[in-house]
Amino acid sequence: MPTTMPFPLPAAASLFAVGQSGTIERFTNESLAGKLLDIGVRPGSRLRVVRKSPFGGSWYVKIDRQCLALRKKELACIMVK
Amino acid sequence: MHHGQIKATPVVGLVGNPNSGKSSLFNVLTGLRQRIGNFPGVTVEKKAGMLTLPGLPTIELIDFPGAYSCYPTSLDERLVVQELTNPAGELFPDAILYVADITKLDKHLLLFTQLRDLDLPMILVLNMADRMEADGLTVDIPRLSKQLGVPVVPVSSRDHRGIGELKEVIAGLLREPDAFRPRQPFYEPTASARDVLAELRRELPARNDYHALLLAHHAPWLKHIPEQTRHHVQQARVRHGFHSLRAQVEETMDRYHTFEPIVKETVRHAGDADSLSDRIDNVVTHPIAGPFIFVGLMFLLFQALFAWASVPMDLIEWFFGTLGEGIRTTLPAGWFTDLLVDGIVAGLGGVLVFVPQIAILFFFIAILEEVGYLARAAYMFDSLMQRFGLNGRSVVALVSGHACAIPAIMSTRTIANWKERLLTILVTPLTSCSARIPVYVILISFAVPPVAYLNGLVGLQGLAFAGLYFLGILGAMLSALAFKYVLRTPERSFLMLELPEYRTPVWRNVGVTVWQKSKTFVLEAGKIIMIISVILWAASTYGPPEQMAAAEREAGAAAQVQNLSEDETADLVASERLEASYAGHLGKFIEPVIRPLGYDWKIGIALLTSFAAREVFVGTMATIYSIGSTDDEFRVRERMAEERNPVTGEPVYNVATAWSLLIFYVFAMMCMSTLAVTRRETNSWKWPAVQFVFMTAIAYVGAMAVYQVLS
Repeated sequence: MPTTMPFPLPAAASLFAVGQSGTIERFTNESLAGKLLDIGVRPGSRLRVVRKSPFGGSWYVKIDRQCLALRKKELACIMVK
Repeated sequence: MHHGQIKATPVVGLVGNPNSGKSSLFNVLTGLRQRIGNFPGVTVEKKAGMLTLPGLPTIELIDFPGAYSCYPTSLDERLVVQELTNPAGELFPDAILYVADITKLDKHLLLFTQLRDLDLPMILVLNMADRMEADGLTVDIPRLSKQLGVPVVPVSSRDHRGIGELKEVIAGLLREPDAFRPRQPFYEPTASARDVLAELRRELPARNDYHALLLAHHAPWLKHIPEQTRHHVQQARVRHGFHSLRAQVEETMDRYHTFEPIVKETVRHAGDADSLSDRIDNVVTHPIAGPFIFVGLMFLLFQALFAWASVPMDLIEWFFGTLGEGIRTTLPAGWFTDLLVDGIVAGLGGVLVFVPQIAILFFFIAILEEVGYLARAAYMFDSLMQRFGLNGRSVVALVSGHACAIPAIMSTRTIANWKERLLTILVTPLTSCSARIPVYVILISFAVPPVAYLNGLVGLQGLAFAGLYFLGILGAMLSALAFKYVLRTPERSFLMLELPEYRTPVWRNVGVTVWQKSKTFVLEAGKIIMIISVILWAASTYGPPEQMAAAEREAGAAAQVQNLSEDETADLVASERLEASYAGHLGKFIEPVIRPLGYDWKIGIALLTSFAAREVFVGTMATIYSIGSTDDEFRVRERMAEERNPVTGEPVYNVATAWSLLIFYVFAMMCMSTLAVTRRETNSWKWPAVQFVFMTAIAYVGAMAVYQVLS
């Protein structure tokens, strides 16, 4: 499992490969940020992309100790470093 | 403002995040003393129940929909904010049981702090306390209670620990609602918000600053805010550059900063979260294996559904058949006996015969939901379904629809986005339900020759059968796609789905679900089915009196000429009477409309009666072709094969007509019960009407095209 970060700067979590992880820095879309914060995804949380869904388009993601399914546009607004 | 004395019926609201085990706790506290309906004016399910505590009036316990915060994104969540910010409303609770998952306290306290700042009397219920030992979790309850300023009770809706104590605490809080008033808020509004509030504070019907802030945020859609005020709020927001979304994000971050240290101080996690769920998910949600496991599970579900439901269904049919005969032999012949037997008893049987399938289907769906599998299925199929305007959760409804559209439509309540749910409700009846099976069986024998290939391994008739099922699924997906572009919705669509840890089901919850869904079906849909079957009975029994009398005379005379037996005479009379009845007139009336499809007036009657329920087709055919008993499918088929067109002498049921009828039955909305359930679930007559028109239009055009090409 790759643990080193190939991105020197914060990058959108949608660019992450399966197995990659990082710490959430900020959100780039206020409306999605509101909803993500509500369900407990927040800056400082640990994010790991666990696997891709069978038909693409969404990801199985582990945030801290919580498992979530997120669509691509939802992951795209999460900046991770 | 809190009242000094207890109301006649105090209202206690259960509030909490989705997956906090709120409904489990509700089931434990109320048992089967629940009423399920809709919240006034919206299609959000409202569960209310009675709770009796010693020395207090009966308490109404309301299970509010799960919500993450006071900034709602779905209709369900909006309802929570709507009711909890409206102290004048009927559902405004006298106390709130705030349910949080004890293992996820670091996330579930967000809404708690918001409601606390609204100055509502609250109890923090830490659910799933049975997980504490397994997870090596310790919680300093007294300290948590002191820091949050409310009573804290750990409970388990699994082994019922803490329930007794919880009841005592509820009684205590209702007796002394002011005992735990907040001393200071968790959150103070920021500068830009303060300016808006200073301007509006007097006009807004708010109990405190945070209440006013929420009203300012949500004034555009809150029902209890007058138009005038709404307008002023809008102006004030613009004048002070109040940015609602930004303020929400700031507030949420601020709240996390406030309560995170409290959780850190009082909750100790030992080691890692259990990885059993992760290991199961490695297989169950695997990108390749996952969908196959899903298909396998659904296959098993259907096997069980058909295998287990057939015996009780036969029993119910037998019971009502025997009951009808019994009534006919005991009561004197006449219109009342006919109404009782052919209208009411037959109608009641028609309703109850669906109950085994509904109960079994919900038994499985409740287990899958309880275990946590449905969330995984929704995750796996979400993107596929989204292309058609549906949601991952629509998969469940579309699969269940092959048994019966009624429970399938009821299961769409798990879809939070209204448009996606509506689309699912609209297209689900296109999947071929079990009621179409007898119709398919009879008609395929006219449409397809009994030819088999590969030593009889692949039969042409079997292929046609599978093809009809596939046609139904195709129709459902394409219709959804069409509706996707027609319907507009202001609601945004999210996935952001929690995948809760796998758990063994709480059997009490499974039982309550099965009981509630079956009861709802019998009471709600049953009423409408009964009315329709009585109307149908009347239409096919009565006609213009002189024509009915003439029909009876002619049939009697014809029977004497042909020297028919008593039974045969009765059959002939019944058939002639049907032709002279109002239903017969109606059949002749619609004949011009259905002639391009290749049907005559007799098929017309069968179509009309089928609109009550498809399975009526075989029975009506039997009545029309004057066969006394409908038990024998093969006799109906023989008689249909003999039927000739009086003008041309050609068989009526040729390949073209049979295919045309098959296509019609695949697509047409011919089930009153489904329409009744659609009406119930959408809370309007508009959607069952839309559903009826679009399905029947596809059926008509499709059947006509097939007939014109084949004939």
